[in-house]
Amino acid sequence: MLSMLTEAQQDTLRALVDRIIPADDFPGGWEAGVGDYLDRQFAGDLSHVVDDYRIGLDWLEAEACATTGTSFAALAATAQDEVLRRVEQGDVVVDCPVDPAAFFRAAAEHAAEGFYGDPGNGGNSNGVSWRMIGFEVTG
Amino acid sequence: MSVHDVIVVGAGAGGGVAAGVLAEAGKSVLLIERGRELACEDVPRDHLRNHRYTRYGHNTGPSLEGNPRVWVDLDGREHTLRPHEDAYQNNATGVGGGARVYGAQAWRYLPGDFEMASTYGVPAGSSLADWPIGYADVAPYYDRAEWEIGVSGDSVGSAKQWPRDKDYPMPPVPLNRQGAIVRRGAEALGWPTLAVPLLINSTPYAGRPACIHCQHCIGFACPVDAKNDSQNTLLARARATGRAEVVTEAMVEQVDTVGGRVVGVTYVDRDDQRQHARAEVVVLAAGAIETARLLLNSTSSEHPHGLGNAHDQVGRNLQGHYYPGAVGLMSEQVHDGVGPGVTTAITKFNHGNPDVIGGGMIADEFVVLPIIFWARNLPPDLPRWGAEAKRFMRDNYTRVARVMGPVQEIPSPDARVTLDPTVRDRWGIPVVRLSGATHPETVRTAEFMYARAGEWLAASGAQRIWGSPPRLKLSGGQHQAGTARMGDDPASSVTDRWSRVHGHDNLYVADGSVHVTNGGFNPVLTIMALAFRAAEHIARAW
Ligand SMILES: Cc1cc2nc3c(=O)[nH]c(=O)nc-3n(C[C@H](O)[C@H](O)[C@H](O)COP(=O)(O)OP(=O)(O)OC[C@H]3O[C@@H](n4cnc5c(N)ncnc54)[C@H](O)[C@@H]3O)c2cc1C
Repeated sequence: MLSMLTEAQQDTLRALVDRIIPADDFPGGWEAGVGDYLDRQFAGDLSHVVDDYRIGLDWLEAEACATTGTSFAALAATAQDEVLRRVEQGDVVVDCPVDPAAFFRAAAEHAAEGFYGDPGNGGNSNGVSWRMIGFEVTG
Repeated sequence: MSVHDVIVVGAGAGGGVAAGVLAEAGKSVLLIERGRELACEDVPRDHLRNHRYTRYGHNTGPSLEGNPRVWVDLDGREHTLRPHEDAYQNNATGVGGGARVYGAQAWRYLPGDFEMASTYGVPAGSSLADWPIGYADVAPYYDRAEWEIGVSGDSVGSAKQWPRDKDYPMPPVPLNRQGAIVRRGAEALGWPTLAVPLLINSTPYAGRPACIHCQHCIGFACPVDAKNDSQNTLLARARATGRAEVVTEAMVEQVDTVGGRVVGVTYVDRDDQRQHARAEVVVLAAGAIETARLLLNSTSSEHPHGLGNAHDQVGRNLQGHYYPGAVGLMSEQVHDGVGPGVTTAITKFNHGNPDVIGGGMIADEFVVLPIIFWARNLPPDLPRWGAEAKRFMRDNYTRVARVMGPVQEIPSPDARVTLDPTVRDRWGIPVVRLSGATHPETVRTAEFMYARAGEWLAASGAQRIWGSPPRLKLSGGQHQAGTARMGDDPASSVTDRWSRVHGHDNLYVADGSVHVTNGGFNPVLTIMALAFRAAEHIARAW
């Protein structure tokens, strides 16, 4: 899966998706299939943003290392959130060829599409998010 | 070359009605539709590609490639757009047209909606005008549309505002929890409510079953065929006569004339071959934007600016509906999953408001898909990521109520459809160029209605209310209308009071294009009614 990304990029992506939609007593984004959703979309409607993901994920990793001394995926959740809050505000130290805040906003939107969209799109496995929010399909 | 009595272009809401009436009147009818036949399973329940949420496409047509339009924004910048992009102003394409996937609200326009200019005066810069016909001229055809296509509604409540000769054929679709809650709020405000009339079977009707209250009504096709439109009624009747031929995946390029007289159309068939069809009468029902395009593309030495366009009126006055609304976080659960979801309307603000022109209707909203809720219904200050965002979705998807509705637009002659000088579609046909905006008075009316929506939710128990205030923009889209408006004076209109293009005794329009103004209500029942009326007129005259 996600063979268009390096393993390091995949690790960062998984960690990012799980901070966008963290696990609680319902699964987090990755377990619920956001990665599967992205895998499909990167070969389809979102093929034009794969390069942005490569750049954005490499950059997020570099930013995490520069500001915390640790790989993004290896950070504790609260520290990951801290990094992401700074990204959101544009308060970053490493130069990025794409706008980091815009990359993060787009990633959050894509994760929501995978998580809350219909399972036919590859994410929201077994309709888990619909069960969580109370959207039931009866006919 | 095929020869018929009548050619109808477009198998949407209006075209299907015209085909049915004319075939039953004994005419041979060729109905040409650019989209496909759409069985229910051909309209996927894809939450990211449908006519409510077009993030990556939609679930009918036109296909995303090869069908561009150009839009000139308010700063004069040009954008070449694909059909699922907002500013393209798309409606659904396929047999049934927009109505194949619509929400099926079945509103009549009010008597006053036909007399906007004489009621309110004409604001500077607007092309506001009275219709050449009044409510009484359309009322018998509203009856026909309600009975022959099938509407569920509250006859007694409706009759308080609309003079009506006949009741609705079916009682209203049942109330759901959201509806009951907003009705209490309306009662607290002293605002009368009306059950929303719907082209949906509340009881079995005309051989098809009652609604099963699913969650995929608007934006999708009905899984049990309980949603009524012209495709499963009048068009089915046309087919049953044996006199109607339906050609799909065929794009009409132009109306053909000989010596200035309309003789038929040229279309490109599904194998990309150009075909000529001939008929005594041509009826255009391609939707307000594409009908304007067809008229403009039909040039000849006698009609160098296109048909009906001697006075540069074709394509002007494009209207749709501003649809202001509010979202409220309620103290109790409001979503019970009972579709279609829209149940309860306030119509007292359609006219008679202080200091604004016209007004609009507000109603509670259809069942909302989770991703649409995420994209459009979250509070503006809620983070879009993290535990808090997930928690909000989890706690509040069922506790958020929405009310919204169409505002009567004040038309501008500069809100228009022209032809782009360079961009062509996949068949080489010049495409639509959209420019301008509605008249600023529309925004004022929309602001007024936006405030009423918030007020309603507050009275219904909302703890917190949010929404997006209206801004000046071009309207059109799913409620597109006005581009070949009716009128008695050919200098300021395109069609006459019978929907016939001025200067042509055998060219008619049977879609939203003929609307002079677009009412403060969803337009489709009026489109259907006027299609009945135009088609009867054609049949009677020959
Ligand atoms: C999701 C959705 C919800 C809606 N909900 C409501 C509602 O609740 N109430 C309401 O009143 N209205 C609603 N509408 C709007 C309603 O569907 C339209 O007002 C109505 O369909 C317009 O009818 P029409 O005949 O003008 O055009 P259409 O129904 O758009 O039909 C035009 C047809 O012409 C075809 N066509 C166009 N160009 C060509 C060409 N060159 N050659 C051949 N064929 C061509 C198109 O493919 C189309 O099928 C909704 C629409 C949508 C999409």
